[in-house]
Amino acid sequence: MISDIASDLKVDSAMTLSKARAGCKLRIRQLDGVECQRLREIGFCEELEISKLSNGRNMICSVCGTRLALSRKLGDQVLVEIV
Amino acid sequence: METIALVGNPNSGKTTLFNAVTGANQKTGNYPGVTVTRVSGVFHTPHGHKFELLDLPGCYSLSPQAPDERITRDVLLGDQEGSELPSAVVCVVDASNLERHLYLVLQVIDLGLPVVVALNKVDLAEKSGLRINVELLSEELGLPVVPCQANKGKGVLDLKHALRRPFPQSASRKWQAGKHTESAISHLISKLEEHGTGNPEAHAIHLLADTEYRTTEQPGIDRVVRQDAMDCSAKCIRAGSSPEEEISRSRTKWVQSICKVAARRQGSDGAVGGLTTSDKIDQVVLHPLCGWVVFIGLMFAVFWTIFSLSEYPMGWVELAIDAVSQSVSNTMPDGDVKDLVVDGIIAGVGSVVIFLPQILLLLFFIGLMETTGYMARAALLMDGLMSKVGLSGRAFLPLLSSYACAIPGIMATRSMNNAKERLLTILIAPWMSCTARLPVYSLLIGMLLAGQGAVIQALVLGGIYVLGTASALLAAWLLAPKVKGNEEASHFLMELPSYSIPDISYIFRHLVERGWSFIRKAGTVILGLCILLWALQTYPKPAEGSPAADDASLALEQSYMGQMGHAIEPVVKPLGYDWRTGTALIAAFAAREVFNANLAISYSVEEGDDEEKFLERLRGKLGNATWPDGSKVYTPLTTLSLLIFFVYALQCLPTTVVVRRETGSWKWAIGQLVGMTVVAWLAAFAVYQIGRLMV
Repeated sequence: MISDIASDLKVDSAMTLSKARAGCKLRIRQLDGVECQRLREIGFCEELEISKLSNGRNMICSVCGTRLALSRKLGDQVLVEIV
Repeated sequence: METIALVGNPNSGKTTLFNAVTGANQKTGNYPGVTVTRVSGVFHTPHGHKFELLDLPGCYSLSPQAPDERITRDVLLGDQEGSELPSAVVCVVDASNLERHLYLVLQVIDLGLPVVVALNKVDLAEKSGLRINVELLSEELGLPVVPCQANKGKGVLDLKHALRRPFPQSASRKWQAGKHTESAISHLISKLEEHGTGNPEAHAIHLLADTEYRTTEQPGIDRVVRQDAMDCSAKCIRAGSSPEEEISRSRTKWVQSICKVAARRQGSDGAVGGLTTSDKIDQVVLHPLCGWVVFIGLMFAVFWTIFSLSEYPMGWVELAIDAVSQSVSNTMPDGDVKDLVVDGIIAGVGSVVIFLPQILLLLFFIGLMETTGYMARAALLMDGLMSKVGLSGRAFLPLLSSYACAIPGIMATRSMNNAKERLLTILIAPWMSCTARLPVYSLLIGMLLAGQGAVIQALVLGGIYVLGTASALLAAWLLAPKVKGNEEASHFLMELPSYSIPDISYIFRHLVERGWSFIRKAGTVILGLCILLWALQTYPKPAEGSPAADDASLALEQSYMGQMGHAIEPVVKPLGYDWRTGTALIAAFAAREVFNANLAISYSVEEGDDEEKFLERLRGKLGNATWPDGSKVYTPLTTLSLLIFFVYALQCLPTTVVVRRETGSWKWAIGQLVGMTVVAWLAAFAVYQIGRLMV
């Protein structure tokens, strides 16, 4: 019960990847949405640190040294916090 | 012979490793989805064992998103028709991307097959500041890990050593899901065992981890078991978490824990010391304004080079065809067989083979863009435009390939992950002007703009390309709601590989392979069509001594083809065409390349050794052709109407056959053929009739 509340609080303090500023280093807090399995498979995993390199219709992120382009709608499903 | 499967993420260097192990000239590329079908080669281990190595399409996971990924899953589960379960699996991992690539390794381990991990690109990993303890990694995974550098051939022998008989024991499943999912897995294993399904644990995990696998019919899985899996999934969801979510979470957790033990990265996300060279190039190439300037400039340069360079090799091919035709003509006795070989086979197949240089040049440039890494950027750039008409940036490569020939374009759609967008791309691909239309355009534009400079003619040709492309995009926009229904636009997600120096030798090997497959097509499908067309144009033969016996055009009029031309004259007359043009149009429905040759026969124009002189003579004859009332058949309006007809008509039987195969239904293939023909007729009709009112 307490861990659930803690997790909810963490999520509350997080923002979506789409809203994060380009150039920021971020940590993925949670994946939330229909495409989260696909996101995990390509490399967006919980607790992983990533960098957001550019904004736009499709944003570009650096995940483990690889550049991945993803649409804003997918970015909305990735909850992150600034490192 | 036993089979070993080769799997790995896109861009892991899987195909390069395949080539290094088997010595085969398999195509490689720096673009996801290069291996769209499975390809195999043979190799020997140092212990004298001979194995077949199966190169499977690259995938991020065994829960497929695209048809090519489905092939990989089905082969590894033993569900692929005509393919036996492999004896072992080599899983290729890009060491510099260890964290991302281990997810697939876990899924492969879950299959219960012997696995060897090929840890490729170790040099890049080191350069990026990633230190991997190979021994520890091997211990944690419970299977052999072989470091290698496939592009330099390093570690290939070690890999072959690791693949000795008996194979390493299969590792046990590494992750543990929650108790509800675990009990569902156990329940399904016993159910699958009851039904005699091979490899029950792998199938049970797939049934729970992949919604699509569970909800669609699968070979070898009883419907009762699938229903059971659906019930189990619903039960897990009621208990608080879906099995898909839980399994993928457990796997990623395990990957993270193993990376903590066996790998150490300087810099949290690998971006050591700020922006890389690739990032700096991307700042220009993906810039909202500069990016488009680079893209349009590149496309212009590609097409300009193709048209200006291909003239020379096309001339050589033409000389070769003429030489063959001449020598056969001199050695064979006169008669039907000689006519068939010289006029039917050599002329027909020759008219197709002549495009080989243009197709190869375009494929060369596509190969360059793929291996340098630019293709993924072009797809990203085009995504904005494509999404406006219901497509995604992933449709760019198939559509660009269709400018060479619609067939490789349609095949390239296999890497698209959204089935409906894939169908939409297949439906519009033939409106990208393929090289087969060029000789027709060249004949008609020459007639339409006789006396005008080459620049004006080139501009009109460019306009035709733009018209075809714009019409295709408009068609996509109109068809999207019908094809996709209420489905939301697919989300763009693509890896942007680092820029690299193109591997020219691989591109050339690939070109040889594609060139050979084109020649094979010319030698089979086109050959058959040429023989059929020749027969239709030759029979029934005119009686000895009759006027038609000495007059080729009269003989053609009396042939089956001529009779068909007369029969369809009422249909083509509103477009401004006579029966002779109608005859050539019917023939062109098999393959549009034969239009000029057929028109030449109808108008009794001898094909000579010089293409330009032949076109001149043909243009002269067409210009003088008259209707019975003495008025000219080929007015500028008729020529324009014919040009428009060729822009829109789908005149290529091989394309229809490939569409049937790729969509799995005649409905789409025939629908596309009929739809495009109707559009072509309407557009040509509108141009001719409205033009007549205005002139």
